Amino acid sequence: MHDRSTPFEATIKWTRKETRDTFTCAIRISNRDIQRGYRFVPGQFNMLYVPGIGEAPISMSSSPLDRDIMHTVRIAGDVTTALSLLGAGEVIGIRGPFGRGWPIEEAEDLDLLIVAGGLGIAPLRSVARHFMKTHSPKKKTAHPRRMLLYGAKTPKDIVFRDEFPRFRDIFDVFLSVDRADPEEYWRGETGLVTQLFDRLSLDPVRTIVFMCGPEIMMQTSVRELILREVPEEKIFVSMERNMNCGMGICGHCFFGPKFVCKDGPVFRFSEISGLMGIKEL
Amino acid sequence: MSVPATARKLKKEDLSCVFDQLRASHRVIGPKIEGGVIVLADIDVHDIPAGFEDRQAAGSYSLIRSDRPEIFSFSAGPDSFKRFLHPPVSEMFTFRRSRTSMTITPSGREEKPLAFIGIRACDLSAMKLYDRIFLEGPVKDNTYASLRSNAFIIAVNCCRPGDNCFCSSMGTGPEVKDGYDIVLTELRDSFLVESGTVRGQDLLARLALEEATGIDVDEKAERTGACIRAMKKSIRAEELPGLIYRNPDHPHWADIAERDLECGNCTQVCPTCFCNATYDLVRLSQVSFKPPGLSGVRVRKWDSCFSRNFGRVHGGNFRPSRRARYRQWMSHKLAYAIEQFGLPGCVGCGRCITWCPAGIDITVEAEALKDAR
Ligand SMILES: Cc1cc2nc3c(=O)[nH]c(=O)nc-3n(C[C@H](O)[C@H](O)[C@H](O)COP(=O)(O)OP(=O)(O)OC[C@H]3O[C@@H](n4cnc5c(N)ncnc54)[C@H](O)[C@@H]3O)c2cc1C
Ligand code: SF4
Repeated sequence: MHDRSTPFEATIKWTRKETRDTFTCAIRISNRDIQRGYRFVPGQFNMLYVPGIGEAPISMSSSPLDRDIMHTVRIAGDVTTALSLLGAGEVIGIRGPFGRGWPIEEAEDLDLLIVAGGLGIAPLRSVARHFMKTHSPKKKTAHPRRMLLYGAKTPKDIVFRDEFPRFRDIFDVFLSVDRADPEEYWRGETGLVTQLFDRLSLDPVRTIVFMCGPEIMMQTSVRELILREVPEEKIFVSMERNMNCGMGICGHCFFGPKFVCKDGPVFRFSEISGLMGIKEL
Repeated sequence: MSVPATARKLKKEDLSCVFDQLRASHRVIGPKIEGGVIVLADIDVHDIPAGFEDRQAAGSYSLIRSDRPEIFSFSAGPDSFKRFLHPPVSEMFTFRRSRTSMTITPSGREEKPLAFIGIRACDLSAMKLYDRIFLEGPVKDNTYASLRSNAFIIAVNCCRPGDNCFCSSMGTGPEVKDGYDIVLTELRDSFLVESGTVRGQDLLARLALEEATGIDVDEKAERTGACIRAMKKSIRAEELPGLIYRNPDHPHWADIAERDLECGNCTQVCPTCFCNATYDLVRLSQVSFKPPGLSGVRVRKWDSCFSRNFGRVHGGNFRPSRRARYRQWMSHKLAYAIEQFGLPGCVGCGRCITWCPAGIDITVEAEALKDAR
């Protein structure tokens, strides 16, 4: 295994604007040996490093089967802004992969429900691409069923909007926006993503859920699922906290006794249900 | 009592021989008086503040010269091994980058490994926790690993507790159980010396010491037993994790927050507080135009969960209130660490009590936590 405590060089192959404040960049690790030894699972993240500015934890948005590693980034502060200013051929540092990802194998034979809010779709696109690459398109089966629920602020904020037609080859897709832009035609739902649950017919015994988005959205979604008798053990959520080291030594990502960086970011909901409602944990 | 095969006796005046053995290969760190407190520094045998005693209370510390016959007559000062193995500021690597290439060079370390002399049971328990955090996690940390590697540990069994010590109730002291190369117990007229590793055994062999007897081993048990009996403070170590997990909204958290100054002294003196943050320092002097680029160094510094920035993320803060930040600290010490690393996050050294300017005493605050009825 390569050294994950010191950044190594990666070259940006291309970048693409996704929405007004997000972009995707594809990177390739420069050193051949590290590249060969680098293996990740969907849901894990890298620490992306712009020397002179700093590091930020960013999930992989590509599938492990993709040739390049992709990251989809929202411009938030120092590091993400610096990343947004780089282009093809320029280099960054990366450390990783870190954390515990989605239990893809557990999901293979079950009905998979993906619930994403905002940029929470990034680590779940990795899952979607995994299924798109391992299952032949146009063969949506009744079982296992695959469903994708996605909520964004406005239609303009839908990340990977042009990829949704391909997601539909494998997934039943349900989209919703908080509010539709008056200047744009929108024929999907308007309102919170949680109201989409009424449109699903879930078989609670054979459903597994992967969820990522704002914490408040995840809390309400989990409540909806539990009402529909999906067991807590079958609900997986990806958590977010301040993160500095990514590998369990800096203490910033504590969620109660859990290190989000190494025990998560993906947790089985039953592992953290006792912590979820506690204020300012 | 049976005598361990490796037990030897070292005359008090021969303690310097241990220094002589180590100096060539190690940088020897031990206790020394500086500015009226006992700190850890590069020392020789005569720097050890023999015969000095510390008076510690909540929010106060003073040193007095007593007529005690012992060499290790004092207890823990604000310093610990932490300042050397996990320095307040450490350089991780230097970087140099242009648009299309970058070079990262891990920073060089001291040529000589460290030797710690006089380290107590509580701090050894903290060091064991550090090893779990920095070396035994999913990823080994290079910065700590390079400072820790080949460190030589000469521990000392406490024969007299400090005023704020409560290691006995935490199960972390006062007797040193593991994690040492050599452990000394100060007897009436000599040291009982035991080795815990092959390296320690080799060093003792070079000193050609006289074998210890059953009487010496009995005296050791007597002295550490007396230390336990003299300890004034205690904590309900077994009950506290449960109490803390069950009571995140206990009114006492808000009560502490009223007195807490959030100075972070406790996190600095605590030998188990490891939280840190990393920064880039750019060196203006090496900025170049052709090829355009820059260089600098990445540094790690201690951070504190009492800092408002600690839980900050873009667009929010996970722990905006002082109440939540204090709760985070104490919960981590007394409950979370056990779940995370299988070791207590509080080792009972009492430093946070002594060095808290508001005199907040973790043993008193922990006593106030009760289940609602
Ligand atoms: C496991 C995980 C996966 C993530 N995946 C993605 C992703 O795929 N795409 C994406 O755009 N964003 C993602 N984020 C959020 C992203 O890490 C933050 O937006 C980013 O760190 C902000 O850094 P900045 O320097 O631009 O902002 P600043 O506000 O300047 O940040 C300064 C420092 O604060 C901390 N910080 C600030 N915000 C966050 C945050 N939200 N999470 C963690 N630390 C923070 C960091 O230590 C950072 O160095 C993820 C976060 C986590 C924890
Ligand atoms: S806490 Fe225990 S081991 Fe530490 S200095 Fe006090 S008596 Fe010695």
